[in-house]
Amino acid sequence: MSDADVLPRFVRDHRRALTLVVLLLAALTIVVTVVPGGRQTVTDVSGVITASYLASAFRLTVPIAFAAIGGIFSEKAGVINIGLEGLLIIGAFTAIVTLHFLPETTAIWVIWSAFGIAVIASAFVALLFAIVCIEFKADQVIAGLAVWLIALGLAPFASIIVWENVNSPSFVTFSTVSIPILSDLPSIGRLFVATPPVFMLIVAVPLAWYVLNRTTFGKWIEASGEDPKTLDTAGVSVRKVRYAGVVLSGVFCGIGGAGLALNVGQFVGSGETMVDGRGWIGLTAYLIGNYNPVGAFLASFLFAGLDALQIQLQQIAGYDVSSTLIGIIPYVAVVVVLAFIGRTRMPSSAGEHYESDE
Amino acid sequence: MDRRTFVASLGVGATVGLAGCVIGDNGDESGEDINVGMVYSSGGLGDESFNDMAHNGVEQAEADFGISYQNAEPDSPADMNDYQREFAGSDEYDLVCCIGFDHVTDLVQNAQEFSDQQFVLVDAVAETEDGDLVENVDNYVFREHEGSFQVGHLAGLLTTMEFDHGGASTASEDPHIGFVGGEETAIIDRFEAGYIAGAEYADEDIEVSTAYAGSWDDPGTGQEIATTMYDNGADIVFHAAGATGGGVFEAAQSAERYAIGVDDDQSISAEGFSDVIVASMVKRVNTAVYESIESVVDDDFEGGSVEDLGLEEDGVEAVVGQDFEGELPEEITDALVESREGIIDGDIDVPEET
Repeated sequence: MSDADVLPRFVRDHRRALTLVVLLLAALTIVVTVVPGGRQTVTDVSGVITASYLASAFRLTVPIAFAAIGGIFSEKAGVINIGLEGLLIIGAFTAIVTLHFLPETTAIWVIWSAFGIAVIASAFVALLFAIVCIEFKADQVIAGLAVWLIALGLAPFASIIVWENVNSPSFVTFSTVSIPILSDLPSIGRLFVATPPVFMLIVAVPLAWYVLNRTTFGKWIEASGEDPKTLDTAGVSVRKVRYAGVVLSGVFCGIGGAGLALNVGQFVGSGETMVDGRGWIGLTAYLIGNYNPVGAFLASFLFAGLDALQIQLQQIAGYDVSSTLIGIIPYVAVVVVLAFIGRTRMPSSAGEHYESDE
Repeated sequence: MDRRTFVASLGVGATVGLAGCVIGDNGDESGEDINVGMVYSSGGLGDESFNDMAHNGVEQAEADFGISYQNAEPDSPADMNDYQREFAGSDEYDLVCCIGFDHVTDLVQNAQEFSDQQFVLVDAVAETEDGDLVENVDNYVFREHEGSFQVGHLAGLLTTMEFDHGGASTASEDPHIGFVGGEETAIIDRFEAGYIAGAEYADEDIEVSTAYAGSWDDPGTGQEIATTMYDNGADIVFHAAGATGGGVFEAAQSAERYAIGVDDDQSISAEGFSDVIVASMVKRVNTAVYESIESVVDDDFEGGSVEDLGLEEDGVEAVVGQDFEGELPEEITDALVESREGIIDGDIDVPEET
């Protein structure tokens, strides 16, 4: 009987997460007690964590977490989709370009049409990616890279055609929605006043978890990535399941990209575009979350929360936290998690083509 | 199969990628034989500020002198070297304008190699390792801190009084303003230093929050930064952050507070936000480009010199937003005129560094 069997089941199942929590608490204790000025720092940091800060962190989480959830559906089904960043760009651009062609009113159908068309556009690009990978057996990583490069070039190019400019002028934005009663609560009420994409994320995370873990479709997705042969033998088309997984990743990225752009009401195509690496961070988030939508959301929220924290700390005199340094945390974290904690396991058939024997 | 797909994918990616940055030929009115090569900074045209201002300058020169020009938009600082060498090496250009401080390292080398080529550098000074000015480069730099002092002074005066016009208002209690920068560079530091000094000139007790977005093209982050500033009680936020600033304006509109634009009069270039853009710190990059072309047309191009443009030379200026012209209280406009004269006369010392 090994030690592991003696531990309570909950501890065994969540050993990694618990280790992380214990390590963080230990680090915090050291900072507070040993490092000079550590206590003051912790007081300052906890001072900025208010409802307004959390609301900001949630808004920053939206594109990252939607990209991450999308990536999970695709990769669990057996198609590695590293084009998430590109799909976010497509979503963001399409949302704004749709607004350009719709009448300029604040009527609610205008913004939701832009949102819907952005999701369709992103899903369509994901479908093309799926065709290239599944029908033409392209290398998934390279095809995914192509999705990103094409979006990175095409969106600014199309912007120049539409607006003679890589950056669009400004358009209407999502207005905030408040949840009755809850939003009137003192101090935490602000958390319940947010733009629709934030609420959609709160619904999407448990929903994605439920679909993947408790439905037949979820089992198919899992089997398609782990053991496509068995799925095929059971009479389910691996091709169709993989198409569904990839298109769903397009749908989620479309929501994330449109959510980002419709919050600002503008598309910026210069440099890395306004998406600015959020898709890549989404990719690292679901690896850290070990292909679990809840874990991926928590990782996304952690990264977005650090970013929001960095924004607040810069404003307190005396702290010079470099935004560039905060920007590399997700990538350092994913290397640490993959190399040292090492519990992230790719679906065993992800990245491989499946040839039905029929 | 896999390799072919690889090549095909890369090919498509590269083609589409390049499509965004091809060199555009803008025609020739052949009044003069002067041909100008424009190499912009990596933000590219369409930033509604710095690069577009430079482009306005060359367009104006085209209209006035009938020169012809060619634009090149590097995607990254790494491409700047190629464009500089391409223009200089072709022997077809009388002047190569390098817009932005990112050009300086490559230009110092290229200008010495192509010593017959006339260059203009905006926002930096080309110096050799010995500290000598490169002989065939005319340098234009701006004293951004002076213009920023003016908008800081304006923001400081507004936040300490009750003001209600356009899409926003300020209250007199808890004077608090903000500054959002793009990337942490020496130039943006001048904006920040001048702005803070201007606010303190208005009132010592004003709280100034500052933060950098870490990017010139991330309005999402710009919006979050400005939102937290407005949430914490800031009445006015000044941005020097390129396209990131679009998010600052959006945040200003939803918080119903004021913002200050940068580089050109953003109440006109970003018209949708004219009800909250109380002023802009205009930096006349167009004048620099125009004057340098004029000097080539008049055949009195002076390499190896530095044109240092501040308030006195009208290189920088605080311009009141189009919705706020004549709407600001007289005490504010008078105070601004007074502090402008103070800076020009040297009575007010504006710091260049925070």
